[in-house]
Amino acid sequence: MISYYLRLASKSFRRTPGLTLLMICAIALGIGACIVTLTVYHAMSGNPIWWKNNVLYAVTMDSWDPAEPADPDHPALPPFQLTYRDATYLMSSDIPRHKAMMAELLGMLNGAPGQKAPVPIMTRATTADFFPMFDVPFEYGGGWDAAADQGPQPVIVLSHKYNERLFGGRDSVGQTILWNGRQFRVIGVLKDWQPTPKFYDLNEGPFAGPDDAYVPFNWTRTLQELPAGHSADWEANVPDTYSGYLASEAVWIEMWVELPTAASRDRMLSFMNSYWSAQHKAGRFQRPLNNHLTNVGDWLKLNGVVSSDTSILLRLAFAFLAVCLINTVGILLAKFLKRSSVTGLLRALGASRRQIFWQHLVEVGTIAAAGAAAGLVVGAIGLKAVQILYAAASTGDTGDSNYTSLAHFDAVGIAWALALAALSTVAAGLYPAWTVGRLPPSRYLKSQ
Amino acid sequence: MLKMQDVSKVYRTDLIETHALRNFSLEVKSGQFVSVSGPSGSGKTTFLNVAGLLETFDTGVYELDGQDVSRLSDDARSRMRNEKIGFIFQSFNLIPDLDIYDNVDVPLRYRRMKGAERNQRITKALELVGLASRMKHMPSQLSGGQQQRVAIARAIAGDPALILADEPTGNLDSLMARQVMDLLEQINEMGTTIVLVTHDPELARRAQRNIHVVDGVVIDSAPYERRRPTGEARA
Amino acid sequence: MSLSIRPMLSSLLRSRTGAILVALQITIALAVMVNAIWIVSQRIVDIEQPTGIDDHNMFVVAIAGLTSHFDLSSALSEDLDYLRGLPGVLAATASESVPLTGDGQGTELWLQPGQRGHSIAAGELQLDTQGLKTLGTSLLSGRNFNSAEIQHFARGKLDLTPADIIVTHTLAKALFPDGNALGKVVYNAAGKPITIVGVTRDFMGAIGLGNAPYAYAIFPQIPGAYGAYFCLVRTQPGRLGAVMRVAQRHLATSNPDRVIFFTHSLEFYHHRMVAANRNMAIFLSTVTTLILAITCLGIFGLATYNVSARTKQIGTRRAIGARKRDIIAYFMVENAFILSAGVVAGCVLALATGYWLSQQYDLPRLDLYYLVSGVLFLWIIGQLAAWQPARRAASVSPSVATRTI
Repeated sequence: MISYYLRLASKSFRRTPGLTLLMICAIALGIGACIVTLTVYHAMSGNPIWWKNNVLYAVTMDSWDPAEPADPDHPALPPFQLTYRDATYLMSSDIPRHKAMMAELLGMLNGAPGQKAPVPIMTRATTADFFPMFDVPFEYGGGWDAAADQGPQPVIVLSHKYNERLFGGRDSVGQTILWNGRQFRVIGVLKDWQPTPKFYDLNEGPFAGPDDAYVPFNWTRTLQELPAGHSADWEANVPDTYSGYLASEAVWIEMWVELPTAASRDRMLSFMNSYWSAQHKAGRFQRPLNNHLTNVGDWLKLNGVVSSDTSILLRLAFAFLAVCLINTVGILLAKFLKRSSVTGLLRALGASRRQIFWQHLVEVGTIAAAGAAAGLVVGAIGLKAVQILYAAASTGDTGDSNYTSLAHFDAVGIAWALALAALSTVAAGLYPAWTVGRLPPSRYLKSQ
Repeated sequence: MLKMQDVSKVYRTDLIETHALRNFSLEVKSGQFVSVSGPSGSGKTTFLNVAGLLETFDTGVYELDGQDVSRLSDDARSRMRNEKIGFIFQSFNLIPDLDIYDNVDVPLRYRRMKGAERNQRITKALELVGLASRMKHMPSQLSGGQQQRVAIARAIAGDPALILADEPTGNLDSLMARQVMDLLEQINEMGTTIVLVTHDPELARRAQRNIHVVDGVVIDSAPYERRRPTGEARA
Repeated sequence: MSLSIRPMLSSLLRSRTGAILVALQITIALAVMVNAIWIVSQRIVDIEQPTGIDDHNMFVVAIAGLTSHFDLSSALSEDLDYLRGLPGVLAATASESVPLTGDGQGTELWLQPGQRGHSIAAGELQLDTQGLKTLGTSLLSGRNFNSAEIQHFARGKLDLTPADIIVTHTLAKALFPDGNALGKVVYNAAGKPITIVGVTRDFMGAIGLGNAPYAYAIFPQIPGAYGAYFCLVRTQPGRLGAVMRVAQRHLATSNPDRVIFFTHSLEFYHHRMVAANRNMAIFLSTVTTLILAITCLGIFGLATYNVSARTKQIGTRRAIGARKRDIIAYFMVENAFILSAGVVAGCVLALATGYWLSQQYDLPRLDLYYLVSGVLFLWIIGQLAAWQPARRAASVSPSVATRTI
């Protein structure tokens, strides 16, 4: 029967090609606009490590100024980073399955074979668990171990991009390279890993460029490197030596832990709370107890990763789709009702309501399918445009932009398009098809 | 075949009620050729719509082919229309985008009949009306008489027990009208019951019985020749 | 013109679904259009906010130490001397941040020592004696720094308190709303006194667009605590590209102990700063235009359907004496009813959306002027969309009345 309905539908399209085209265009535009904004929205707010959402936690403690909250606009929030002394203490806990502290350093890479000039790179100083905790994929080699953290041993992990640039993509594990003038041994090379947003450090904005290399955290102290990432302090007297800085209340370290069970989470929190109490008695932590373990999804929300512009655009896209669908419902209804004499005849010849309903729904479905296909094209073009528009907005100082990876047309976009098309079929087609199915068969036979 | 007992049908709008059929009683035996006549607004069309299961009625009993249809669901009524009834309309009502073959095909499709059987029935029906050579023509390429013969083919293709014809010759000249009537008589001779609604006395006379309807009531159901003049007078 | 409204309304009500759907489109389209244009107008204000600096003729070189022999202060003065000596360069200064990048440092100033009273937040720039000239801003009152006042950071040394600062007009007003700020003393978080020695025209520093884009204090300091520094350079008009190329080539090799991290024109940052607003404006305008287009097609479609469904009726009207313009008027008035219904509902939706946006996203409340203009605009294009079908209706021949179709 479906094939018969399809044949009838194609006859109907040939009778009114203009209206049919109009409906297809309306659906295509609506779906295209939705795909563009949904893809951008999804990329912006998407959780890049959703499979570990409920076991990974950002660690925060309110070590801020007793007189004033860290963020006067959101007084309930603690600072998003830890002081050196708090981070190193919390790292001593063996409650988490994995734990890592980290900060961003500016590094200079030099000494690769054939390299003429040093290359400035953003380097993540972190601890061994960073790689297994975040399921970081390696192309060659692997991360380092706890002994390398303690040393610190001169080992470095390169990003895919810089291994391409310095070693032409070859397996560079075991090679020696200069990092800030010191010899480091390449111990691992990552696959192309660019979690977007960069959930573990959102202080430089969600689309801050990826980290280019990773070294053990203790090199920070050994080389007296100040963080190149975000840091903040509230004390009146800023220390004027490096050791003073490490002992100060300046926050500059991100810390993450993996707590597989609710019980371990509770234990970690009480570990933090008892540390807080001891410090509180000693005169630090004079703000109210405000320790948090925040999972990835909540962390993204807290950091306002989805800009208000994007959520306005998202709503706009749905308003647009609504207008397109209403438009289509209106045209379909007019078209179907104009044909009601034929429908009445079909009813007289024995078509049941259900048969009439399905016949019309097949017609709508065909239009929706064509609209969805055209919508995919519109969406692809729109995403290209977004990519061009936003490339400038997200270009970093060193010229890297994360938006190209963001706005590519992936399976998610196609799935959205198909879901929207199915939904719009139902939304746009049901009412008109139902209405014509209910027409009394006799009324339209005489008036032809 | 068709038996109505005290059937009433009232159309209601905001302002008025129209009694289209009042205690309408009628019986048509299987294989009969019956004409229904009456002045405009007498209820002929309502009778046809009710008889053809296109409309429901308010009170009374209607049996079609031995089955009480008063309480059938819309689906069951559709099915009965499809299997038991063939319609022929004054304005032919062919579907303009479908060719002749596809037009005759329509009711068979709704019966979910297999392709081979449909093909055989369509061919047979079109041969009977003498248009087998025109299968691929569009309705607009045919004359009025030819279109009406296609409509007849469509009505009989499903092998219905009852054919309801509503002024089938009203839009045709007399020669073509005669051809159509000959065809209907031929079909009737093959055993199909025919109810013909017409205001044309010529046609009414060719039926075995004539039912005269005035104001929604059957006045007379004798053969046309034996018609007493009272019916006319009362109209 | 003889138009009877009542039969028209009753026919509208009979075929109401189509009319309701079109009115609904108009409702949404009006709400979207009015609010989108409102947001766009806000964005344009942001985009067109003057920077107050000569960003068309400025560039920045980011320099970072590489080896352990790197001596920042000698490298810095060497680089500055070189840049200042280049033909085409008007001025150059060391800086710890780059204007318009959104990546700047803030400070707080008090009117009383010891953090008493409330503080005023200000953006902070660390510049030397050529700082003002490099930015292209000028003093409204007071004086520039002299070279003796410039403090030098050493690597790892994180805090220096200046004795004197220069503030922007906006910051001066914020600190001393009803008086001349010049010569007044303010205090930093540590309670040390700082004298305001100059007040400049407003300009944007490194923090970027926000609540107070022009509140800045200039500290007479040369950066160095982080082992890296920026050189800001201002060239003569039209010489920017050439000077940048020459400087880049020279600095890349002049000192093997450090590297050029990057070189950018300030226009690059200005462009980047307004890009989000500009994109939002482009996005909103595009989608709004499309919504209006679709809505007009909907109006056109409904009118076309109505005309073709009533061909016979129109023919009959013509046959009994209606003039062409009566037929046109009939359809235009009918369309006007639908439009008006949609527009009235649209006003409510637009105001509700505007209110919701202002609550949710910190936008200013919708200006009613935009609503009124939007209503008029939509009403006019809505009528234009129905014009062609109405014309076609008028061309229906009166003979249709006697034909059976």
